[in-house]
Amino acid sequence: MKVLVTGANGFLGRHVVDALMKRKIDVRALVRPAARVENLAWNSSVEIFRADLRTSRDLAAAFDGVDALIHLAAVVSGGDEAQFAGTVAGTERLLEAMATTSCKRVILCSSFSVYDYSSTRGTLDEQSPLHKLPDVYTRDGYTIAKWWQERVTRRFAEKYGWDLTVLRPGFIWGRDHGYLAALGQQVGRHHLVIGPMTRIPMTHVENCADVFALAAVNPSAAGQTLNIVDGPGERIWSYLSDYMRGTGERGWRLPLPYGLSISTVRLAFATVFRSATKVPSILIPRRLESRLKPLKFDNSKLRQTLSWTPPLDYQECLARTYGATTRSGTGD
Amino acid sequence: MKLALIGAGQIARQHLACLKTLPGVELAAVCDLSAATAEATAERYDIGAWFTDHRAMLEQIRPDAVHITTPPTSHFPLAMDALNAGAHVILEKPATCTFDELETLLGHARKTGLHVVEDYNYLYNTAPQKILDLIKSGEFGAVTHVDIFISLNILGPDGFADPNSPHPALRLSGGAIADFLPHLASLAHMFIGPHRAAHTVWTKRAASPLPYDEFRAVVDGERATAAIAFSSNSQPDAFWLRVYGERMQASANLFETRLTFDGPRNVPKPLRPFFSGLEEGKRIRRAALATLLRKFKGPGSYEGLWALLARTYRALGDGTTLPITEQQVLDVNRMIEALKPKEGAQ
Repeated sequence: MKVLVTGANGFLGRHVVDALMKRKIDVRALVRPAARVENLAWNSSVEIFRADLRTSRDLAAAFDGVDALIHLAAVVSGGDEAQFAGTVAGTERLLEAMATTSCKRVILCSSFSVYDYSSTRGTLDEQSPLHKLPDVYTRDGYTIAKWWQERVTRRFAEKYGWDLTVLRPGFIWGRDHGYLAALGQQVGRHHLVIGPMTRIPMTHVENCADVFALAAVNPSAAGQTLNIVDGPGERIWSYLSDYMRGTGERGWRLPLPYGLSISTVRLAFATVFRSATKVPSILIPRRLESRLKPLKFDNSKLRQTLSWTPPLDYQECLARTYGATTRSGTGD
Repeated sequence: MKLALIGAGQIARQHLACLKTLPGVELAAVCDLSAATAEATAERYDIGAWFTDHRAMLEQIRPDAVHITTPPTSHFPLAMDALNAGAHVILEKPATCTFDELETLLGHARKTGLHVVEDYNYLYNTAPQKILDLIKSGEFGAVTHVDIFISLNILGPDGFADPNSPHPALRLSGGAIADFLPHLASLAHMFIGPHRAAHTVWTKRAASPLPYDEFRAVVDGERATAAIAFSSNSQPDAFWLRVYGERMQASANLFETRLTFDGPRNVPKPLRPFFSGLEEGKRIRRAALATLLRKFKGPGSYEGLWALLARTYRALGDGTTLPITEQQVLDVNRMIEALKPKEGAQ
């Protein structure tokens, strides 16, 4: 079996390639033309295919002999339009190319950001409401791009009769990626911890990568939409303690009740910020909710569908994230 | 008026946000090569139809005016098609890749009785307009010289210097800096008139895909002189406009709201610098607050685009003179032609 992985040299991508190699699956790694892959501990069986999804012409060649696509590539920096062009128009071009080939299996990396936290109560799971039109356009550029990427991919899968698996990871953490937007607001070295007892929908990058590799080989994954979280999630306060201990960062932590914070932000938004063009996300009520609303998270559908248990528990994840490097290059 | 837009990228957002606020204007359709981009734009701005083929859009929608906000290399054929479909054309800068194309385009517009407007948005920012008002009132005195300096880091990997996908502007003569020449030349033209001669220096300091990252020029205009410059290596980002008149001087940063004046003062001469400094400090403090507050409301540094589009549609509706005339577009682009690097100059 051969799998094409886009975004293969990214934070998640590197680990997905590792996880596929562990399962003896052939990998073609799609990376950008200027990407540096020399330092990645990929063995020689990993084929490198260099292309930019926004502009490269011969993307169909990337699918030669490929049985499944794991589509991780997304643009997460730059303005809203740059993210949309890279993530959505890039996906459109990739899937148009795939439609001319015999590959009929797609595993898409979506995101928790497609869920409408504002209208979710209690537990956020695969049944929770997604953003609706036109409300989605009031969200940040990342959310709009990921929501649209899923929309485009589902349309292609339906049109061409592909087997599609949509995986929606929560906050992905790991070495050099310990700090999460779910932790509140950093002010210099210090932290405003909004809702310190709230649980974080989180998955360690190696656990998350394991799900992607498993979905590629497990026929039960076809047609499914699955959230990826390792479990109920750590509480913000304790995760932040582990983060500060692990990185050696020093600073004050100021706990703020979530209810007070969201009420204050709502009031400020209604009176001052409504027509603002450049305001930090944390001051926009719906964006604050999508990062910090206290909800419960559940991975029972993932566990049942793929018979999956996270390979690493939280303590092992901490050791992989903040401990001494065990293997050069891959950062794990 | 029924409008359509081709090219739903970054600058299109500013056009669309402004057009939604204008009276008597209906956004009828949007077109982009990416179907998702076109559809998302139509949904976001409540536009009735979206297309991926601009000819199909022109045929079906028959717009009165078309905004072209694609990369510059596609402007000429798209604008010609829009004119042929009977639509006025609002073109993002730079209007065309060559002066020949521009002459052909404007000639065609003349024949068809339609207008081509190139977006010189900074002319309509508050600061240049205030300076212009003082010049017109005679208070400023005649302009003797203008300094225009853009320092902007365009060497980052996300934009013009993207190492993965060559930016379309790199195909212009002068590369990415050519994308800014219309701003520099249109402002210089506003204060010094058509150019008679220009001397330029194009250089490259940093390793990047850009052919040049520094540009300087001295321009002799019909009414005064201009020193214009673009620096990719100088920081922080700023867009300085300094106008020197016979009685007054003005200094503005067009990326912000800062505008200060210095001129005659009714105090003994030795005290003039003291009082000038106090007043300048006061103006800068006020501008700092205004720059902060405008982040919470409105178009920010694109205020000039909003003002220009409002005036353009008012003029098209009334049949009066457009804020940017065909002669102005020709003069500015003649100056740009003189500023472009001569072959083998690097």
